[in-house]
Amino acid sequence: MHIVVCMKQVPRDNSVKINNDLSINAEGIEQIMNLFDEYAMEEALQWNEKLGGKVTVLSLGPDEWKEQIRRALAMGATDALLLNDPSYANLDVLGAAKVVADAIKKLGDVDLVLAGRNSTDDESGAFGPALARALGWPQLTYVGKFLEVNDGAKKMVVERHLEEQVETVETSLPAVATVVKDINEPRYPSLLRIKKVAKVEIPTWGAADVGAASSAASVAGRVPPPPRPKGEIVDGADAAEKVRKLVDKLMENQVI
Amino acid sequence: MQFDLSDEQQMFRQAVREFAAKEIAPNARHIDETGEFPTETFRKMGELGLMGIPFPEEYGGAGGDTVSAAVAIEEVARACGSTALAYAAHMGLGSAPIFMFGTEEQKQRFLKPAAAGKYIAAFGLTEPHAGSDAGATRTTARLEGNEWVLNGAKMWITNAPIAGHIIFTAVTDASKGKNGISAIIVPGGTPGLSFGKHEPKMGLRGSVSTAIMLEDVRVPRENLLGDPGRGFNQFLKVLDGGRIGIGAMAIGLAQAAFEAASAYAKDRTAFGKPIGAFESISNMIADMATGIAAARLMIYQAAWLKDQGRPFSQQAAMAKLFASEVAEKTCRDAIQVFGGYGYSQEYPVERLYRDQRLLTIGEGTSEILRVVIGRHILGGFVGN
Ligand SMILES: Cc1cc2nc3c(=O)[nH]c(=O)nc-3n(C[C@H](O)[C@H](O)[C@H](O)COP(=O)(O)OP(=O)(O)OC[C@H]3O[C@@H](n4cnc5c(N)ncnc54)[C@H](O)[C@@H]3O)c2cc1C
Repeated sequence: MHIVVCMKQVPRDNSVKINNDLSINAEGIEQIMNLFDEYAMEEALQWNEKLGGKVTVLSLGPDEWKEQIRRALAMGATDALLLNDPSYANLDVLGAAKVVADAIKKLGDVDLVLAGRNSTDDESGAFGPALARALGWPQLTYVGKFLEVNDGAKKMVVERHLEEQVETVETSLPAVATVVKDINEPRYPSLLRIKKVAKVEIPTWGAADVGAASSAASVAGRVPPPPRPKGEIVDGADAAEKVRKLVDKLMENQVI
Repeated sequence: MQFDLSDEQQMFRQAVREFAAKEIAPNARHIDETGEFPTETFRKMGELGLMGIPFPEEYGGAGGDTVSAAVAIEEVARACGSTALAYAAHMGLGSAPIFMFGTEEQKQRFLKPAAAGKYIAAFGLTEPHAGSDAGATRTTARLEGNEWVLNGAKMWITNAPIAGHIIFTAVTDASKGKNGISAIIVPGGTPGLSFGKHEPKMGLRGSVSTAIMLEDVRVPRENLLGDPGRGFNQFLKVLDGGRIGIGAMAIGLAQAAFEAASAYAKDRTAFGKPIGAFESISNMIADMATGIAAARLMIYQAAWLKDQGRPFSQQAAMAKLFASEVAEKTCRDAIQVFGGYGYSQEYPVERLYRDQRLLTIGEGTSEILRVVIGRHILGGFVGN
């Protein structure tokens, strides 16, 4: 069984500050493994312990991402692959999914791809579905439980944890699944492994190694959303007057 | 000159910091208040490979170096002093001597389970009447057939009642003075061992240090650690290394106090501005940062010297002396920055202050360390 986990390195929430000129203040940004990818990684490791084979941590990103790739190796991933090329710098989600799909095809023997339901920085939630589409494989989003992963019969049964229901789905393998939070309890990187992985070369493929894909769209710019307008406190002698004033205001603004 | 930690050392720091933030820090106040030993935390630390960082993998360790071990102790202390003391005593005092002086068989029997975190280890040197003056040890060990028979009393032994093994210093040849002291490994639960009460302490209340009574404690002859009669010299070497650990613990506690005080200085307002805007406050913060930075360099340098196989006794003594005194000043000032709230148990700084207070005493008091440093510089006549 060969499981690929797509892992993104992201800034820790709250560690990012925006400068006055709207650029990102690089100082003090702490890089971590995307929260949901950590659950995906743990799930892959648990199935790997049962079924054997390989768990490859795969990232499309700059060289600095090797830090979290190494963390994944210290958690227990058996293999790693970084896709890094100048032409990948401003890929949008669809473009990234196409490149990753090409890399996965090139790996050849992949049975299952896991990713987080979304990244905590871009939050599009589109990567998993786009990847499945690019591979032409079944996609299972919002997986909250893997009931069965059957290497021999090449099938898998999972629970999709949707807003109002839990859906049990059976699929053939290979497939792409994205996982939700709290599906398991991710392990800490093992200090015993750190020594082995701190210096290993992380295999890196550029565009020439991956082959074909090209992206239609790229991200042209990023600005923070405008600050929220100031609130207003409705005042009055008693509750009845406050409510009256509030209703007036809501009607004035055509809210009701 | 190279001041950065290596990739491996950085990964160690990151891994320990993450574990400490999630598993150790949330428990710090509870174990301080209740005196409950964090057994579950230590089980998890064992699983992760934290309990034997500087020992080779074949002996159950993580194959790291002294710098990594210091960094790990620092990070654990930043989260919880009690846990850090038990941890530092386990690794630096209870386990290191076996790696340094043990036979292959002793390493397999005692170092391996300790380093792999199967159990916690302890080191019994101090006695009711012999602390700084460790040469005045009264505990005796006599050879009867193929067994050592130990009698006497120890005091202040960290991890004692929960330890899987305790290394004791004892007089094996009274005619030779200091050179008649040896070290002997005693497995926990050996008949004849009994422990005093969990000593009520000013700080580090979640760690256990107790008195030990030894009454005809019998262990096999091969439990003698290192050369007979070299016990005194051996534990001086052990303490040199242990001091790096205690110094690292001091940096961790100071760092936690500094971080808490810095955040509070930005947050708390008085006279219409954040208190950090008053120079008296920002000066304290600046002094804390300066002291910690200097102490950290000294500790890492001592650790690095040890890793290079070079003499480090003087540097370790200087680093521990300086770091423990920086920690005391930093934790004292952190309470000052917090004002009345600093005196409250609702905030961590009062605990940090109580916790750090041991560090100018244990593993060589500041006074004894000055004697050690003075001897390195001026010669053996200092203090004699
Ligand atoms: C919480 C805790 C945990 C401990 N854990 C352990 C442990 O795990 N194993 C262990 O073996 N020990 C342990 N100790 C003991 C510790 O190492 C001793 O307390 C320390 O070495 C000091 O010895 P003492 O308490 O007997 O003080 P003393 O030696 O009696 O010192 C009293 C005072 O006299 C000063 N003094 C003594 N001699 C001189 C001198 N020649 N010149 C100048 N000043 C001098 C000292 O600096 C000190 O100020 C622990 C102690 C505590 C409090």
